[in-house]
Amino acid sequence: MDELNEEGGARAYSASRHTGTSVAVHAGFPNPAAERSGIPLSLDKLLVRHPGSTYFFRIRGHSWNRYGVFDGDIAIIDRALSPRERELVVWWQDGGEFALTAFERATRQNIWGTVTAIIHPFGEPGHDER
Amino acid sequence: MESTYALIDCNNFFVSCERLFRPELENTPVVVLSSNDGCAVSRSQEAKDLGIPMGAPHFKYREFFKQHGVVAFSANFELYGDISERITNLLASITPRIEVYSVDESFLDLSELNINDYRTWGGIVRASILENIGVPVSIGVSSSKTLAKLASDRAKKTPALRGVLSLTEQGTSTDRYLEQVPVSDIWGVGWKLTPKLKAEGIHTALDLRRMNPRRTQQLMGIHGRQMHDELNGVTCLPLQRSHKPQQMIMRGRQFGEDTREFYVIESAIASLAARAAAALRRERQLARRAVVTLRTNRHRPGYQQVSEDVRFYTPTADTGVITSQLVRMLSARFNDRLDYHRADVLLYDFVPESGLQTDLFGTVDLPENNRSQARMQALDAINLKHGKGTVQFAAEQLSQSWRPRKRLMSPRYTSDWSELPEVRLL
Repeated sequence: MDELNEEGGARAYSASRHTGTSVAVHAGFPNPAAERSGIPLSLDKLLVRHPGSTYFFRIRGHSWNRYGVFDGDIAIIDRALSPRERELVVWWQDGGEFALTAFERATRQNIWGTVTAIIHPFGEPGHDER
Repeated sequence: MESTYALIDCNNFFVSCERLFRPELENTPVVVLSSNDGCAVSRSQEAKDLGIPMGAPHFKYREFFKQHGVVAFSANFELYGDISERITNLLASITPRIEVYSVDESFLDLSELNINDYRTWGGIVRASILENIGVPVSIGVSSSKTLAKLASDRAKKTPALRGVLSLTEQGTSTDRYLEQVPVSDIWGVGWKLTPKLKAEGIHTALDLRRMNPRRTQQLMGIHGRQMHDELNGVTCLPLQRSHKPQQMIMRGRQFGEDTREFYVIESAIASLAARAAAALRRERQLARRAVVTLRTNRHRPGYQQVSEDVRFYTPTADTGVITSQLVRMLSARFNDRLDYHRADVLLYDFVPESGLQTDLFGTVDLPENNRSQARMQALDAINLKHGKGTVQFAAEQLSQSWRPRKRLMSPRYTSDWSELPEVRLL
């Protein structure tokens, strides 16, 4: 968890916000070449751009099996990103549940965060790895 | 150059953390209880509007909560600690000159940042914390910490300000706000000083700001003089720099076998308190509050827990003070017909050790406090040199019949893989 609390990510986004420039952050995987100096390779750095605004969710449902997304998978959500078309988002349904859909299908003002990755652990996901 | 400070204060922080993962509660009255059967330690605006006071005991309000649809949570300190740390990291990326004052309040020294418009700056920081992390804050900016704190209080209470108030110009607009602030709301004016000031005809922050400084010193000592200066925008309380202190310290143990012997429990609590207090001293912090909890086995019928929330008259890191208070509180509630399974000690609501000398609390018995610090330093030094537990408080040794096990708790959305929030595929 220490990696997650590292300050680099937080500095990157808030610095751009506070200079008043528009925030140009792109969803998806960062350029692996940018991580060349990171020895050993860190999954946290690869998957979590902004530790301060990243949360993990557990995926529930079987309707996306054909896309390779399964019940029990872990979604990585970054609240610092502004979602764009064809990206995936987590949003709050008035019915009282978080839902994962394409940006176009979400109610804009209820969007909670942008999905940056989905992890599919084979077998039981690790418990209590704190 | 004139100093400028900002206070970033989270609005009913614990409630806001719960709402982050339960957005449907946005307009519902919500309270967070200090522990499962404790008292309200954080209240949403809707709960305040219903007249639920801070510290409302749950057992007295259970019916009331039901009638008014109030949603009550048990404190999820791991979650609050995590969100608090995210906010601290974000603020520290603005400037390293940060003082984390408590779990939900931080001061920033903005003097060297060349910000033109503090109101706009505050709006951006507020939006950034709300969007990126997910909790609302109030921000006050002014030329001293005391004024910054008053400004953030006003910002919180006045919706039209949209969470930000900058009192950076001396003059009528600042006076207008100070005139609305009762003297008892000023940082450092406690219940002891309020009547004294009222007797002098000092009712508002503006009155105190305009008071003869020599009179403030006669009345309240150097503390009063400092308060007067601070209200006039002259900094007397510089930033208390600390290296990312912890916001709460928790130590828990499961008994080797369930027990109803008070001496076993007392010993466990003493030992947990000693370890928590030592961790507190390493952080150079003092605790204002502590919670001690005893539980029976959750997996057996008739699960029960007793919990006591203790407020220290003077913030402390003294093992002896903490232990004796916790044990005394607990002995009053202890039921010797129950088999207890585990004990937990939580220290929270910290202030920096050095904060005491600046006399923020008005009630500090300094000679006693220095004696206590010297005693604790000696204890820590011996234990550091000769190994943990070389010197112990007597109560710690009463029984050793308990050993470590993992803690059981309610959902920890951000700190346990098996308790993540769930999202449904559509």
